[in-house]
Amino acid sequence: MLLASCSRRAESPVPVEIEHEVSPAPARVGPVTITFKLADSNGKLITGAHIAIEADMSHAGMSPVFAEAKEEAAGRYKAHLEFQMAGDWVILLHVTLPGGKKLEQQIDVRDVRPN
Amino acid sequence: MNLSSIPAQETNPEVRPFDLMHVPVVGDLFRWRYARPVLQAPLLVLSIIMILHGLFGPTLAPKNLATTLSWLHFRGILVLVLLCAGNFFCLACPFMLVRQAARRFFKPRFNWPRTLRNKWISVGLFVLILFTYELFDLWSSPWWTAWLIVGYFLSVLVVDGFFKHASFCKFVCPIGQFNFVASTLSPFEVKVREQDVCTRCHTKDCIRGRREPVSDLVTIRGCELALFQPSKVGNMDCTFCLDCVHACPHDNIGILSRLPGSELMTDPIRSGIGYFSRRKDLAALAIVFTFGALLNAFGMVSPVYAVETWLGRILHVNHEAPVLGVIFTFFLIAEPVLLLGLAAWLTRAWSGSQRALLPLAIRYTYGIVPLGFGMWLAHYCFHFLTGLYTVIPVTQNTIASLGRPFLGEPRWSLTGLPANIVQVIEIGFLVLGLAGSLVVTYGLAEDDSPDKPLRAFLPWAAVCLILWCASMWLMFQPMEMRATMMMSG
Repeated sequence: MLLASCSRRAESPVPVEIEHEVSPAPARVGPVTITFKLADSNGKLITGAHIAIEADMSHAGMSPVFAEAKEEAAGRYKAHLEFQMAGDWVILLHVTLPGGKKLEQQIDVRDVRPN
Repeated sequence: MNLSSIPAQETNPEVRPFDLMHVPVVGDLFRWRYARPVLQAPLLVLSIIMILHGLFGPTLAPKNLATTLSWLHFRGILVLVLLCAGNFFCLACPFMLVRQAARRFFKPRFNWPRTLRNKWISVGLFVLILFTYELFDLWSSPWWTAWLIVGYFLSVLVVDGFFKHASFCKFVCPIGQFNFVASTLSPFEVKVREQDVCTRCHTKDCIRGRREPVSDLVTIRGCELALFQPSKVGNMDCTFCLDCVHACPHDNIGILSRLPGSELMTDPIRSGIGYFSRRKDLAALAIVFTFGALLNAFGMVSPVYAVETWLGRILHVNHEAPVLGVIFTFFLIAEPVLLLGLAAWLTRAWSGSQRALLPLAIRYTYGIVPLGFGMWLAHYCFHFLTGLYTVIPVTQNTIASLGRPFLGEPRWSLTGLPANIVQVIEIGFLVLGLAGSLVVTYGLAEDDSPDKPLRAFLPWAAVCLILWCASMWLMFQPMEMRATMMMSG
């Protein structure tokens, strides 16, 4: 079951809106699923984008976690990550749009709970 | 100080301590007059890089050299060097290199005020740094970390710009005080080799400085921290600057091996310090050092958030500062007063000691320093060892961001030693700390109550065990690093 931990519109330098959901909510140490919805400024879903994900803890000394999101439905992408430690995480999205345009987006996932 | 009255110290001619100054290359380096600036220069360059990267580099802590080097590598290497050698960070302190350069242009005119010639300011700053570390989550902010380093440089320039000698080191620097306390457990000490040579010495250059015969101008500085070598005991207040080594005309000062912690078991009058047992400020420093170690570790484990939320609810506050204030008051005042006061009272009652309660508590407070150092070692080495290699991809990334990736693409998979291996090392440090504290407190008890040492020792052994159990409990808590502590619910 997908639980929406947060869903918000993200600001980015190109006119693309990214909404995301983290499951489970609240996020816990262990495997998590993140879904994204990409849309242009008119609300039209963007298909065929490539999303590379990097998750870091907010403090130094931990290895980042890498993943790639797969397009599950038109404009909807899903990625699986593993949070190794409780605390605050920062997810960096490296998005390549179908036209080759690139953008980066930062998502804060605060308060990941211990198991 | 009467320079002619040098107290005789016990020396056993058959047991010659190992002298680091006699090690080839190392000894030659330390004897060289410019050894200190040569060691300081690389750290100054590194500090500048950290400041620049902290202010202008990535805002994410794991990708920034300021946070990675400050909170992982510097702290880990610092405590390991203190454990294995001595206060060599103060020797290579980059802040002092800047101060020295500034003093070529601005000569300080004032003596440090007599009423402030104690550790109270530095104890306050030590607590303030621990407090701001938690409040502003310094570990997660390259920007704040950079400003902390900048603030340090400015403070040194202001304090030592106005006041003569090493006022900043002796009376202000919180890192220095940490090093002074921890180095009481170091295996090396800057010390005279032969007391007889000092007894015959008339110039006392080690404290007065070597001077021109006619003009009386100082050509090689004597100790700026007022430690007269022949009556100096232990590492407290010694920055290992080697000024005394270079000033001594008889080459009679070495970096000698000794039993770590032995200086905590005795209470002679110490040059530049006096008696440990009469120094409330030093005892307060030892308390902040030891209980602060537990507090600092408590700030990174899961239960702290439950405590904060609970306190916030009771106090009806949403801001973190007052809640942290309560936690700090409990850890650094209430808990030590209760534990140490009760132990002192029991020692007095059971052993029949004639000392008043406060002097007794002060005397034994130094006995818990090894426990505190064990906790700092366990905590800092956890971060250092589990993130040992992270400096490599962060450096690669920094260089790549400058457009010349000659170190290759960042290898972010490089981290450090596995946590389960590091945990064994942590336990080793904590056991070492407990053993050290038990030995020191027993030594104090034997000295204090020769007839009933066990009765004097038992209350302090109980304090040591309580603190050790608390340390072990903390080490086995799940680590949790949040940049926002006060969460609703």
